[in-house]
Amino acid sequence: MEIEHVKEKIMEGRPGFPRQYGPQRADHQPGIPLFPQEATRDLVVIFLLTAILFFLSAYVTPFLGPARSPQLSELIVPDWYLLFSWGLLKVADILPQFTLGEGTPLKTEFNAVWWGDLLSGIPIIALLLLPFLDRGREARPAKAPVRSAVGMAGIASIFTSSLYSIREVVAQRWTTPNYSALIPDNTMKWFFIIPPVLVGLATYIGLRRLGFQSMRKWLAPVVAGAALIVIGQSAATLVLPGWLGPEVAPYVLWVAAFLILLSAASALAAFGVIALPESKARRLSTWTGVGAILGFAAMYLYLDATDKAGLSWVLSVLEPNMNTLLMLPIFAVLTAWLGTRRPYSTYEYLLNECYQCGKCHTVCPVTKVEDDALGGLNLVYNTFKKQHDGVPLWTCLACDACSAVCPLDIQYSDYILEERRKVHARMAADGGERE
Amino acid sequence: MMETEYGPGRTIPHPVMFRVLDAEADDTTIPEIKVEHKSEFAYYPGCVDYYDVEMQFSHMNYGDTNHGIIFDSSIKLLRAVGVEPMILDRSFMKCCGHDQLWQGKVDVFERMRDYNTKIIKMLGVKTLVTSCAEGYRTFRLDYTLDGVRVVHITQFLYERGLRIPPQPETARKVRVAFQDPCRSGRQMPVGAVFEEPRELIKRVDNAELVELKTFRADAQCCGVAQMMYCNDKTKGLTRKRMDEAQEVDADYLLTACPKCLTHFGCLHHENKWKPGEERYAYKVMDITQFLAERLPGDYPTGSNIDSRRKEPPLPGRKGGGT
Repeated sequence: MEIEHVKEKIMEGRPGFPRQYGPQRADHQPGIPLFPQEATRDLVVIFLLTAILFFLSAYVTPFLGPARSPQLSELIVPDWYLLFSWGLLKVADILPQFTLGEGTPLKTEFNAVWWGDLLSGIPIIALLLLPFLDRGREARPAKAPVRSAVGMAGIASIFTSSLYSIREVVAQRWTTPNYSALIPDNTMKWFFIIPPVLVGLATYIGLRRLGFQSMRKWLAPVVAGAALIVIGQSAATLVLPGWLGPEVAPYVLWVAAFLILLSAASALAAFGVIALPESKARRLSTWTGVGAILGFAAMYLYLDATDKAGLSWVLSVLEPNMNTLLMLPIFAVLTAWLGTRRPYSTYEYLLNECYQCGKCHTVCPVTKVEDDALGGLNLVYNTFKKQHDGVPLWTCLACDACSAVCPLDIQYSDYILEERRKVHARMAADGGERE
Repeated sequence: MMETEYGPGRTIPHPVMFRVLDAEADDTTIPEIKVEHKSEFAYYPGCVDYYDVEMQFSHMNYGDTNHGIIFDSSIKLLRAVGVEPMILDRSFMKCCGHDQLWQGKVDVFERMRDYNTKIIKMLGVKTLVTSCAEGYRTFRLDYTLDGVRVVHITQFLYERGLRIPPQPETARKVRVAFQDPCRSGRQMPVGAVFEEPRELIKRVDNAELVELKTFRADAQCCGVAQMMYCNDKTKGLTRKRMDEAQEVDADYLLTACPKCLTHFGCLHHENKWKPGEERYAYKVMDITQFLAERLPGDYPTGSNIDSRRKEPPLPGRKGGGT
């Protein structure tokens, strides 16, 4: 009772809480601010660590061995975890190089070194900017699809830039039958752009679907566009005279079979996404993916067993277009599969977020008067956790008091709607409504 | 799963009335539409008149709640701000479907929604004014009325600048409490109606706005939603809410939701049955009625109002008629 009086005294003269659920809510606990509280503590730790590093490097210098001779001609490769950085430095010379402010004290050369530094700095810059760009409070990947897509694209770019950094090794290891590199430098440079973008798109679409959005509007243009590019390029490769050299002539049937496999896979995925209902499209994309992989494996095994050079020829004719012809079919099928995926259960997903703070229990009006509905938290959550036989679900007023105070913005009344709809559907399936 | 010691009746939402409404939803033929004033402003009174007149819901216990007055008051108020609305009455509109949706009859709701959407588009409505919190939520969130602006009547009156003339010197100072309906307040992610009714009440010069213990987004529910499951437990919730109004010593308990009005009115009357035990010494009414009573002039002739009457109807069965 005492606490009630105190609360009333505090609330006296206040215009009420403008509390809503949804994106405009402003009553969340803000936590401890970064500046100055967190920043002070972090700076102390940073200075301490820096001091330790200086001390160690000044007094406890390890012997690193004799320096490597610069005349050594063998290919020097850094440790694997630094390859991506090396790749970013290597790719810098394709960027435009110019000088600004010639003849003034502010003269700046935008040369390969500058661009390489910038590219290597991008991960650090991104990390520094992240808290300013991403103001959302969602920690789950599926709840923040943009952030997750950017992250996945970043991971993909680490792989592709690592691959680019060892392009000399690639060129030595994998060659076409006429001893040119299987993946030429020019194609590899595009690895910096295309695979990360595709990975990001697929991630975004898949995660949005996991968050119970219908992704049809995204899927149709993206998958159909990918399929069109693949089909167009396959047709051009086969029909236009300049694309296939004379030395490919014995293998032209295999090349055609390979291209048809790729085109068919992407076309099937696009067809499912555009024309079929979601569950059928899902099944179609699953079987398309499985079929394409099996077909490719069968082709590979057969060629490997019969003619060693065959597969190399097949791949080598695709070389200038490897990004589109090899990545896009995978992308199309995978995106169709992710974008038509049914999330397991709305309530599993939404109500499992609950960490049982009990705010909803405080405000739920029904649990105060309804004996059947007594339990841990609000009525909806208790029903979800099967703490009673389901009857009290019908006593819920759908007044949304629980959603309004929920720090995780769980919208409980959607669950009520869904459950009641299901009961009615069951009654109808039993042959009519019950009195 | 519905068999309990209370019997299966627990789950049945007001059977007869909703059977009638559901049957109505099946019939999707469009009748002849007669509107008196063709206008881009449409007023949808909702189905409370229907509850009141056809089913005698609030009169079952000989209560004095008058739902029909909401319609007349709304028209009077809309005329006072210079709008002659097109009345979307139930001769050609169906119920908005809120109750059906929340009872779980989604298919019935969808039929009603499609029908109503068709009619609203057909009539070329630009602004849809509703005096019902549930209707406001349903039209705004659950319908897809592209190009139609859905407003609650308090929002509309506020933005059009309703002026309440000074009350007579003899008028008593009254303390007015406002019950925030869940549907138009807490449940609206955009366009929640919190401020407008309060601002309108403040424009009545002899009214003092008092807040209940829980208000705005924290407001406790009136106790019954989607017209189902009326029993002593829900009465208990209603009573909790009405006790809050008693605690702040209110003279009027206003609400913007006819469902709240129904259940407040029901309990309000029940507590008057035994003389000397009268618990709630305040009036319960809709905010439109409160405002319209303070405007000069007559009520427009409504469907369930005696045409000879110039005053708002007295409390009592059948609007206090003799």
